[in-house]
Amino acid sequence: MTTAGGEQSGVDLKRFNEVFFEECAENLAQMEQILISLGDREPDQEEMNAIFRAAHSIKGGAGIFGFEDMTVVTHVMESLLDRLRNHEIAFAPGMIDLFLEAGDAIAMQLAGHRDGKPVQQEAIDRVRARLQQTIDGGTSQASTAPVSQTQTQAPPAGELPTSYRLAFTPEPEIFMRRVRMESIIAELADLAEAGTFRCEARLAEVPDFAGFDPECCITRWEFALVSRANRDQLADVFMFVADEDQLKIEEQPAERRTQAQDAQGEPALPVEGRRAYDRNETAPGAFGRRCGEAESSIRVNVTKVDQLVNQVGELLITQAMLSQVSVGLDPMLHQSLQRGLAQLERNTRDLQASVMSIRLVPISIVFSRFPRLVREIAAKLGKQVELKTAGDSTELDRGLIEKISDPLTHLVRNALDHGLESPEKRVAAGKNPVGTLQLSASQVGGRIVIDVIDDGAGLNRERILAKAAENGIPCSETMSDEEVWQLIFAPGFSTASEITDLSGRGVGMDVVLKNVQAIGGRVQIASEPGKGVRVTISLPLTLAILDGLSVAVGEEKFIVPLNVVIESLQPKAEQLKTVNGREVVQVRGEYLPILKLHSIFNLETCVTEPCRGILVLVEADGERGAVMVDALLDEQQVVVKSIETNYRRVEGSAGATILGDGRVALILDLPELFSMHKQL
Amino acid sequence: MQETAQNGSEQLGVAQAAAEYLTFTLGSESYGIDILKVQEIRGYDSVTRIANTPAFIKGVINLRGVIVPIVDLRIKFNVGEATYHEFTVVIIINVLGKVVGIVVDGVSDVVALPRESIKPAPELGASLDTRYITGLGTLNDQMLILVDIEKLIGSDELQIVDSAADNSQSEVVNQ
Repeated sequence: MTTAGGEQSGVDLKRFNEVFFEECAENLAQMEQILISLGDREPDQEEMNAIFRAAHSIKGGAGIFGFEDMTVVTHVMESLLDRLRNHEIAFAPGMIDLFLEAGDAIAMQLAGHRDGKPVQQEAIDRVRARLQQTIDGGTSQASTAPVSQTQTQAPPAGELPTSYRLAFTPEPEIFMRRVRMESIIAELADLAEAGTFRCEARLAEVPDFAGFDPECCITRWEFALVSRANRDQLADVFMFVADEDQLKIEEQPAERRTQAQDAQGEPALPVEGRRAYDRNETAPGAFGRRCGEAESSIRVNVTKVDQLVNQVGELLITQAMLSQVSVGLDPMLHQSLQRGLAQLERNTRDLQASVMSIRLVPISIVFSRFPRLVREIAAKLGKQVELKTAGDSTELDRGLIEKISDPLTHLVRNALDHGLESPEKRVAAGKNPVGTLQLSASQVGGRIVIDVIDDGAGLNRERILAKAAENGIPCSETMSDEEVWQLIFAPGFSTASEITDLSGRGVGMDVVLKNVQAIGGRVQIASEPGKGVRVTISLPLTLAILDGLSVAVGEEKFIVPLNVVIESLQPKAEQLKTVNGREVVQVRGEYLPILKLHSIFNLETCVTEPCRGILVLVEADGERGAVMVDALLDEQQVVVKSIETNYRRVEGSAGATILGDGRVALILDLPELFSMHKQL
Repeated sequence: MQETAQNGSEQLGVAQAAAEYLTFTLGSESYGIDILKVQEIRGYDSVTRIANTPAFIKGVINLRGVIVPIVDLRIKFNVGEATYHEFTVVIIINVLGKVVGIVVDGVSDVVALPRESIKPAPELGASLDTRYITGLGTLNDQMLILVDIEKLIGSDELQIVDSAADNSQSEVVNQ
């Protein structure tokens, strides 16, 4: 009876399902975080309650939204947690892992519902069985009373059943919060001793027909049951539904049970209670309420935020236009105007910063997944690792967060697998047997810097060179350390002598570099033999704004993304050579192809000789080249705009921006320019 | 007869199913497009050229923060001379979810033409293919070429819409 709701009005429910998925994912993450933070110690009451709440919210939500399969694991898990909470089962260190596995199983089911990913039912059944075993094992220790087989939430043994009367007077808007009375009734029925559950629905204060609002709840429920559950457990059923004043629970002396038993096996469901109000129901309030702290945040659709960011970008451009115009004005005559413009500039910058900050999320979202990863990998490798994180509250763009987590995971795996030594080796080297892996994030200027530092053996210069030579990666003995470290970013490079399932597939570091570069970041490595390795990733604060070098070619202006620029120079005639008729420039022993922007873009320009123009040396996707322009203009932050919105993709450009004078400038896409150059 | 059609259109006004057209000139010819597709009219500003595009794509402009391509129909249809001065006008149209500017020699008027006064266009073999012409209207003894701007912008010829969109559009055209 509770399953029906899930499919009743598919389109409408989708939106609410999304809310459930999000909340469920949050609850899972929270639960995992707490579990990991425990290590192997027993959780205190507060932590236990927090875990319980998370599990209960997931179960409640899953039930309400009709994802019955998800309630199965959570239900058993909740039962076990409840026993633990009430000290009916003794805590054992293995339970943490069991709960983590259960969390994984739920996450898998969640992914199954949300993204249609395959769900391994055996794994879920296994976890469920193990949870159940733990409950049964623990309970039978506490008491010899047999545990009911079907009723997983069987009452704690050893307590005499008590007869209860519950009166529940919901507020009129209860259905708006997407509460389903059926699932509550079912849950209560589960708690009751067989055949003792009775439920009655009463209409309270029926208004006259004119004042009747079919979406309001005017029903009151009264339940009578005999249960071994205690008062709190009964109250928990209404956890997210009723405020304290709406629910009355009366305990009755056991002798009066007979009254309840009169209603033999008739869990009569109130017809009045079944109302399928699926439209206009707002789910967010349905759970999460009473979950602790007051809500100090709101959920906003990302597209709305993006729109705001765009509009502020436009405002910035307008402001830049105005100040450019004002430069030509006599400061004496237009003093107040100029003062106003200066203020406008300050205000727009502040506004931009505030709006950008909406999109920012703390990096702890990424960092928080590592304790578990490190714990598991370290256990697998037989290494002892202490993970330290710093700067968890450093914020960066939401879009970046998603894209940085994979590279970081690679780095952490690498550090654990290749960097840190086994405890024996560490002791032999005179180090603490417990290795340290540090993740730290900080904001430096307009960039976010993330360090992954281990205190392992450090990079081995000889081995890297040997490996590079073996894999046909160009290298030489005379390379500086920095250049040698860069070799590990070459595609197909892997120093692990044998391939493990953790890392060492040889796709690690070059993927890291590629992913980081794709979001405008840079990777640096520092290493000291015997002391460890520090990998530094530096990222722009946001994707919507880009640091660019504006250059002029003829009458047009272009933006070269600053993260690909190495240096700029005006070449001398003797530096210029031709290879197969293609012009190259020799810079410190290296020959770089010259990309003439005016010939790639068919522009008219007076500067056709590289000696008279300026070469901007760039590196993108491991390819180097010299882009020839007429002049360098300015280094500025530009707001990235899409050309495709109203036009098609433009070859060689990664978008466009609007300059201070209101004109459009294309942002160069260097990798594409390289391939255009080859086709010329 | 032309007179009556004209008077008729004025009397019927908006009440009847008389569509309103924005008329403009390309060289010496008068054209009309559905007014509902027009977003705004502005003067010709300098454009940012885009490499490797046909000559009739003048480039892109910044329209209040949105990047909008500019098409010169005079070059595309070989009518008049593609000169740019202070009277050159850009009609910003909004079709197929895209905002596109078209350069014309001048905007004349907004007129209401009743359906029955619109005659089908003869096969001319002109550069402006008949499939982009909804018909020929008459206004003050002058012929008005009514252009289906949506089909035109969506066509492969203009290369404004990416190839993926082209396919769906060409299907529509073929029907």
